[in-house]
Amino acid sequence: MKIFFYKSILVFVLFVLAIHLSFGLIKKQVKREYTNFISKEGIEHVKDKIRKEIKNATKKKVLINSEDAELLNNFLIKLKLELEKTKNK
Amino acid sequence: MINKIKSTHSIFLFLTYFIIVIAVLSTFRDFGIHIEEKFHRMNGLYWLNYISHIFNFEKINSITEIKMKEVSDYTLSSVAYYNKYGVIFDLPLAYIEILFNIKKIENVYYLKHLLSFLIFLLSSFFFYKILFQRFNNFFLSLAGTILFITTPRIFGDSFFYKDILFLSFFNIGLYFLLKASDKLSLKNIFFFAIFSAITFNLRIFGIFLPITFFLILIIKSFYNKNIYNYLKYYFFYLFSLICLIIVFSPYLWSNPLTNFLDIFFSLKKDLIGSNIKILFNNEFINNRNIPETYLLTWIFISTPIIIITLFLLGYIFYTKRFIQRLIGIKESQIFNDLWRGRNEQKDFIIFFILTSFYLTLLVFNSPFYNGWRLVYFLNIFIIYFTVYQVNNFIILYKKNDLKKKLISFLVVASIFHNIISLANYHPYQSYYFSDLISDNKKNSFEGDYHGIAGKHLFLKLSTNNKGQKIKIAVASHTPLHRSLEAIDSDLRSNFEVIGQDYKNADFIFKNNISEVNSNLNKKYNIPDNFVKIDELVVKGVIIYEIFKNLK
Repeated sequence: MKIFFYKSILVFVLFVLAIHLSFGLIKKQVKREYTNFISKEGIEHVKDKIRKEIKNATKKKVLINSEDAELLNNFLIKLKLELEKTKNK
Repeated sequence: MINKIKSTHSIFLFLTYFIIVIAVLSTFRDFGIHIEEKFHRMNGLYWLNYISHIFNFEKINSITEIKMKEVSDYTLSSVAYYNKYGVIFDLPLAYIEILFNIKKIENVYYLKHLLSFLIFLLSSFFFYKILFQRFNNFFLSLAGTILFITTPRIFGDSFFYKDILFLSFFNIGLYFLLKASDKLSLKNIFFFAIFSAITFNLRIFGIFLPITFFLILIIKSFYNKNIYNYLKYYFFYLFSLICLIIVFSPYLWSNPLTNFLDIFFSLKKDLIGSNIKILFNNEFINNRNIPETYLLTWIFISTPIIIITLFLLGYIFYTKRFIQRLIGIKESQIFNDLWRGRNEQKDFIIFFILTSFYLTLLVFNSPFYNGWRLVYFLNIFIIYFTVYQVNNFIILYKKNDLKKKLISFLVVASIFHNIISLANYHPYQSYYFSDLISDNKKNSFEGDYHGIAGKHLFLKLSTNNKGQKIKIAVASHTPLHRSLEAIDSDLRSNFEVIGQDYKNADFIFKNNISEVNSNLNKKYNIPDNFVKIDELVVKGVIIYEIFKNLK
């Protein structure tokens, strides 16, 4: 009876600690990252970063190289044509 | 001969307490007002009003009604909602305020500070008794008691009757737990029940006392085979405890069971801040999702280095012994399984409460803020194991005079270090950091949460700007206007605290308490037209800064 009591307590404590130190810690870490990301400050931080990147981009003389510009131009023309086609149907 | 030794000990003890009381009486008014004191005053008045209504004390009822309207403040949480706080200190003090007709608000608070400290001092005497009964060494017990009283953060907070009040009653409860575990008698158990109930009234952590008592009786019953006798005593304890918990908590009177359960359920959502950011090691973290190292880090950086080293050695030494006992358990043996004799039983109880409490906090991911102040009662265990380790050294080096003297020197040095720190940090001992921490590091943790520096700020500004009306904005989460109650009422009218309305402010007060991530949120950024004119720095810790409007 006595040995059973001590063993039960020991197994219970070790089990709880094992769960906490494995699954519990991972859950905590994920929760921390997620909470930081969706917090008001986190969103403000992302907005600020986007603003900064746009600012930097507008300072550049050439934003995209001529090859990419041509590709994008062709893509947009194609897209426009297809949209108009759908509209006229 | 024995009588002579006893009287010498009593004289030493008396002198120690006399010096402490004189020192405190001459300095306790230097401390500022804690930002939550207003709430606690309201708490006392609210429940006094409730009781006077039940028992038809009309005069007290009408006085409390008037006073409650006076105390009211737009930033103050409603006591009717946050009604689960203990009243064991607040309610009698509200009655004393009315009984002695104390008019000046600052006197109400300073009386509370003084009484809070005296309760702490009384509890330290119980701590001395715990140590003396365990180690049977007067000077070691006295040294342990002085370390207990002079631990800087604990001493600083002992005037603010929140965390240290719990520590004090937990300590007295622990004394009676050890006594009842030694000798089961109705008297010991009843006293234990009284202090367990008071402890529970102040903080839910008090539940560790009855749980530990139950466990000790179970372990003892394996050896004594007297389980029915133990159960009889335990049921008497439990019955007394439940009755006393209800008596001490007016909140439970209307609906004991539902309200009792409500205390546990509300803990998660109401009592420990809700999703606020706290500054920890230069990072703003969510207080509901703190790192595993939070508590340990705080204890290590804000406890004197000699104490923490001796504690660790003592704790490791006892853990080793405990594991040996655990491995050596047999189905039948002539000793108790986990201890031999009364002294080791005391060590086991202390070890069990400390370890199980810490693991519970860890597993339940308990929220914290502003350091480890919510669990300052752990200092009882820290000092106990410190003294335990010194005692181990004394036994180990009993034949080596030089090493024995070295140990005595270490203890005396530790006491002197504490006393010097108390003087250096005065009256900001609550913000003590270990000397091993760099100034930069000290300021990467939360600072003046209590807002006690507010008094210093107002007195300083009123000296520099005599008679002028001053508008102060606050670039932190501190409700600074509450600190106005620490200064004379004539001076109070010279100040107007205007929150974050920076453009209309003459000065801005800033400390590093923020409920948002100040690196990303610009709420507490100081506008460009303000320049820093002064700061209060104590041993490298920036308590607050003042910025002036250049206009």
